[in-house]
Amino acid sequence: MNRFIVLQLSLALAALPLAAQVPQEDSQSRADSSKAGAKPAAVTYLFPEQITVTADKSAVVDLHFKVANGLHVNSHTPHSDYLIPTTLKLPDSNGVRLANATFPPGADYAFAINPQEKLSVYTGEFVIHAELVASRGNHLVEGTLHYQACNNESCMPPHSIPVAIDVIAK
Amino acid sequence: MVVFVLVLLGLAGWANWQNRRQAAAAALAKQSQVVLVPDNATSSTGGDAGIGHMSSPLVGKRAPAFTLTNLKGEKVSLADYKGKAVQLNFWATWCAPCKIETPWLVELEKQYSPQGFEILGVSFDDLDKDDPKLLAKEKVDIAKSVAQLHISYPVLLDGDSIAKSYGDGDVYPTSYFVDRSGTIVGATFGLTSKDDLEGNIRKALAGGTLQAGLGKGTR
Repeated sequence: MNRFIVLQLSLALAALPLAAQVPQEDSQSRADSSKAGAKPAAVTYLFPEQITVTADKSAVVDLHFKVANGLHVNSHTPHSDYLIPTTLKLPDSNGVRLANATFPPGADYAFAINPQEKLSVYTGEFVIHAELVASRGNHLVEGTLHYQACNNESCMPPHSIPVAIDVIAK
Repeated sequence: MVVFVLVLLGLAGWANWQNRRQAAAAALAKQSQVVLVPDNATSSTGGDAGIGHMSSPLVGKRAPAFTLTNLKGEKVSLADYKGKAVQLNFWATWCAPCKIETPWLVELEKQYSPQGFEILGVSFDDLDKDDPKLLAKEKVDIAKSVAQLHISYPVLLDGDSIAKSYGDGDVYPTSYFVDRSGTIVGATFGLTSKDDLEGNIRKALAGGTLQAGLGKGTR
């Protein structure tokens, strides 16, 4: 019994610093997540979350994305080699293959200070026509959209967002 | 049993010390973070996710020391520029606004270098360090871009490795203006005007003295 009490006491003492740390970490992470609002993703995947297609046959799916207000991303075919194009990738071994992707044409954009140099960009909502071929079954596909965003005076580093689609192939 | 309790208490104390050390390190890292400050008066981004204007708590503090490699593969330290006014220009080849300000920087560097002013371009292009072939290609691409832009000042690679100490702003272009004593006296985030850059350069040239100079690695 004595041993049990000593063990309990020891564990309680050992847990003290950890217990003291937990609320601190919680409040810290809450503060961080509220701060995270300062740097939201420039592009959001909107829909579809789930699609039903014919197994082993090509199906065109429209993937909808939104660029945050005030930002633009390079189109799939930027006017310059040094700019990073918007691209879509699907993992190879998932039972779902990206046979082709048709990107919308970009809109011309120029920085006010340098109106001669036109960029090809997406703003607002844009749609990628993705041609998918899926084997029979249910597949949770986690593709990625890679892009590089700027506003009218500065740029952010290239970034990728997940494009999660539940593909049901019958 | 007594030994067991003592060991347990010792472990508890060690865990507590570790936690405090980590919290102190986190607090220190946060001190150097750039802070987003809404600038509704001038922002035309419409701003749900605008990069926005920022202020930096680094202004008024010593410029964090660093050593990076230039395009020739030589090591360059900020401390090598002891006694000079320095503009650290964070840029990337994929950054269109960076390329707009580059000709201004080239001109300003020529204009003010006789007074002891230097620019260090710090590239934030990704480097695939695990893939020698790709890494070599990336370095060639940066060098090509530097040549195309007629950049005459040194360009250093792997800016990502010093991003944290400079506030992890993730906004390009960014410039820090360091006076002769190694103190950051100004910062610009995003494309600004040539006049604004020049004003900060003058501030850097005017601030600090050679007497207050630095030992290696103290910037």
